[in-house]
Amino acid sequence: MTERSSPLSLSRRRLLVTTAAAGAAAIFASTTSFTPALSADDPRKGGDITFLIDSLGDTWIPNNSAISSFQGHIWGHVTDKLVYVDADGKVSPWLAERWEQNDDATQFTLHLKSGVTFSDGTPLDASAVVANLDIWYAGRKSEGINPIGLFPKTYDHAETVDAATVKVFFKKPTLGFIPTLGYHGSILISPKTIAAPAAQQADLSKTSGSGPYVVDSWKEGDFVTLTRREDYNWGPAAVGHTGPAFLDTITYKLVSEPSLRVASVQSGQADIAYNASPQELQSLKEEGFTIATPRYLGFVNGWAINTKLAPYDDVKVRQALQASINRQEIIDTVYTSDWKLATSFIQSNVPGATDHGDLLTYDPAKAERLLDEAGWVKGADGIRTKDGKPLSLTLHSNPYLATSRSIDELIAQQLGKLGWKIDIRAYDVVTYGQKVTYGGPAVPAYEVTRSFIDAGTVASILTNANNGENWFALGESDAKLNELRDRIAGAGSVEIRNPLLDELQKYVLEQGYFIPRTQIVQRIYVQSPRLTGETYNGVAYASYYTATISD
Amino acid sequence: MRNAYLTYAAKRLVQAVVVILLAYVFTFVVVSILPGDPITNVLRNPQNGFTETEIEEIIAAQGLDKPVLVQLSTSLSNFLTGDLGLSMRTNRPVTTLIAEVLPSTLVLASAGLAVALVLALVIAYGTRFLPKRFGQGLLRDFPSLFLSVPNFVIGLVLIHAFGFQLGLFRVIQPDSFWATFFAAIALGIPISAQIAEVLIANLDHESEQEYAAVARSRGIGQMRLFAKHLLKPSSLPVVTVIALTIGELLGGSLITETVFGRNGIGSLVQRSVTTQDLPVLQAVVSLAAVVFVLVNLIADLVYPLLDPRVKLLGAPERRPAAADESSVNVSKVVTS
Repeated sequence: MTERSSPLSLSRRRLLVTTAAAGAAAIFASTTSFTPALSADDPRKGGDITFLIDSLGDTWIPNNSAISSFQGHIWGHVTDKLVYVDADGKVSPWLAERWEQNDDATQFTLHLKSGVTFSDGTPLDASAVVANLDIWYAGRKSEGINPIGLFPKTYDHAETVDAATVKVFFKKPTLGFIPTLGYHGSILISPKTIAAPAAQQADLSKTSGSGPYVVDSWKEGDFVTLTRREDYNWGPAAVGHTGPAFLDTITYKLVSEPSLRVASVQSGQADIAYNASPQELQSLKEEGFTIATPRYLGFVNGWAINTKLAPYDDVKVRQALQASINRQEIIDTVYTSDWKLATSFIQSNVPGATDHGDLLTYDPAKAERLLDEAGWVKGADGIRTKDGKPLSLTLHSNPYLATSRSIDELIAQQLGKLGWKIDIRAYDVVTYGQKVTYGGPAVPAYEVTRSFIDAGTVASILTNANNGENWFALGESDAKLNELRDRIAGAGSVEIRNPLLDELQKYVLEQGYFIPRTQIVQRIYVQSPRLTGETYNGVAYASYYTATISD
Repeated sequence: MRNAYLTYAAKRLVQAVVVILLAYVFTFVVVSILPGDPITNVLRNPQNGFTETEIEEIIAAQGLDKPVLVQLSTSLSNFLTGDLGLSMRTNRPVTTLIAEVLPSTLVLASAGLAVALVLALVIAYGTRFLPKRFGQGLLRDFPSLFLSVPNFVIGLVLIHAFGFQLGLFRVIQPDSFWATFFAAIALGIPISAQIAEVLIANLDHESEQEYAAVARSRGIGQMRLFAKHLLKPSSLPVVTVIALTIGELLGGSLITETVFGRNGIGSLVQRSVTTQDLPVLQAVVSLAAVVFVLVNLIADLVYPLLDPRVKLLGAPERRPAAADESSVNVSKVVTS
């Protein structure tokens, strides 16, 4: 590992000078385009970086851990995927050089890149891809290897056509299959690892992927060190580089105290601090550190409203709630300008997302009028009542989002001015999982923080058809929502699907089924200015495959 | 005397086995009555997209749907055959997980205890022999001060001062010498307070004894008086306190390890508690029970070596009991 200059003498002036020099180096590096191959004497080659992370997750069984917000960072470097999905949701070839589908999106043919190998020497060919597809779909439940929960449940089987061609069959149209291949869980693992028992798969050093880095050493709950794979030559073209990585090693080190993670980067002891507090970002930017707040592809942070529970069975009350939230104030107070206003119930970078910001305008006069019309009368204490019952809303702060409670408190103030009586409850992750569910008997609003890779999966989640999650407790009662769901699920092309998605977004927001708060940033990176060239994929993971570090 | 030692040790070992088994069952009961487990907690996270049918299938495949008593008897029979099982959180053998982190905790706990002992001795010596103008009185307040400052605060102050400002160690290398040294200080300071308090009280008592007055009248130097005459009789209750602080060393190591980013038993427990990883918790609680029993056994066996007046319960009398007024059973050791 390269030793950093001693922080012993790191005065503010020296920090400024270092920052300025590194900034100049960063500008220089950013103006230099990537070349497809990396020569041995490439000046960009070399260097070691340390990434401070708040957790290293739980099990390392690939199927059970790839969805983890923490372990996904490591998997992103140790493994590859069949397709690449960038931060804007654009799907491009990776290990699948091209693909075809039939008209009703029930059969797909994948053509694989040749010459790709796993780090254990096994070729990444058609049979390896079939083994991966099968384990993603079914897992080996009796051994404790789970299926990938978000892999299409319409999967039927896959077969090898030849060494470089795979044919995949689905029971129903599954337009989202190709984008799903770029999602968290769809990491390609060596068939030898897949065949190994669960306890062996749980040992990260025994897992072989085909990624640009391999696991050098690791210790549970402590660190993972990755080293460059010299023969790697199959990176995604979309990132502008396909040869071996530049950095020699990447160490992910667990430091659970957030202030220590940031202070370590400030003092030059580490290069990246993950999940800093939003309140710190502005001052860190001013100090010259690189701040990245990539948005994942998925739902915005907001509430799925339980329409079975009074008074939210009344569309006017839901619409009043939609108009009562000052979303700009949330960004100004809790977040920074790096966060974006919600313009739909899905993030604006999702392909197929359309701008319905006009339906999400803060309009207290409209909210008051709608509540008056619905029969909710403001009492002397400022609380609206109807038939002796107060206009109440119980919020359960989402334990997976650190800022959730602060936003709840701010919204409680906003709604309180309009006559709402707000009760905020905060549970730990375990209790939250037990007590707070979509459409639960005491849950009028379920706070959503959730990513997805393809908007086509959205409609079926919202209702209860095909094991859907019935977010709004509507069952099959809303004919229009059901119709949109069925037409989106059956769409054979994005050209057919996009107008339907637009209609769905407008309808869900107009009906007040989903109340967006803000677009979500769940991964915050504070980075040394010496480190440049990293990329962020569609699920907001940073990849240092293309990154370089200056002295 | 040797037979007495063996009989006594054997009795204590039988007691220890019972304590360990009880600790094992108790942990199982406490963790089992809490809602959730590491597997279903992950499966029920909506982000993971599992259907209710899939969740039920996986739970059944893992045997988590079986009655609690059946699960307990399976777990207990495995434990009795030395099989600690697999961690539910990581799917790795519990013995491997503990073996990976135990050395780090042992190093920290030993260093923390050493720091605590040195600090306690310095404070105790100072309160007796430091000239008043150098703050002899003030030293007596140190134990209260040390006890009232949480060790995570001490840890954060040390990290910022010596890690970030002076650069003596890198936070990302918590097992380096200096990082371990400062972690040991953070862990040792509150423990030193308890030892120092007992030591000061006993030194006060011993220095009023006639033999101390005789020694002083013979012109023995302060350091010699302290080390040769006062310290030994004053340290008997200190042994008891040290045995009792083992729990605090283990508990304190949880916080210290978290603050310093060390991967030890404390941080393993923290991760296992937050995810309700029952097999790991049962193993660690049993290990803690073993350590407690062993340390207390060692403390009991050390008493007679420090003070010949102390005798083990059941040891043959060397002299008629009536003539040995000062003999004390280990279970009734005078602590002040």
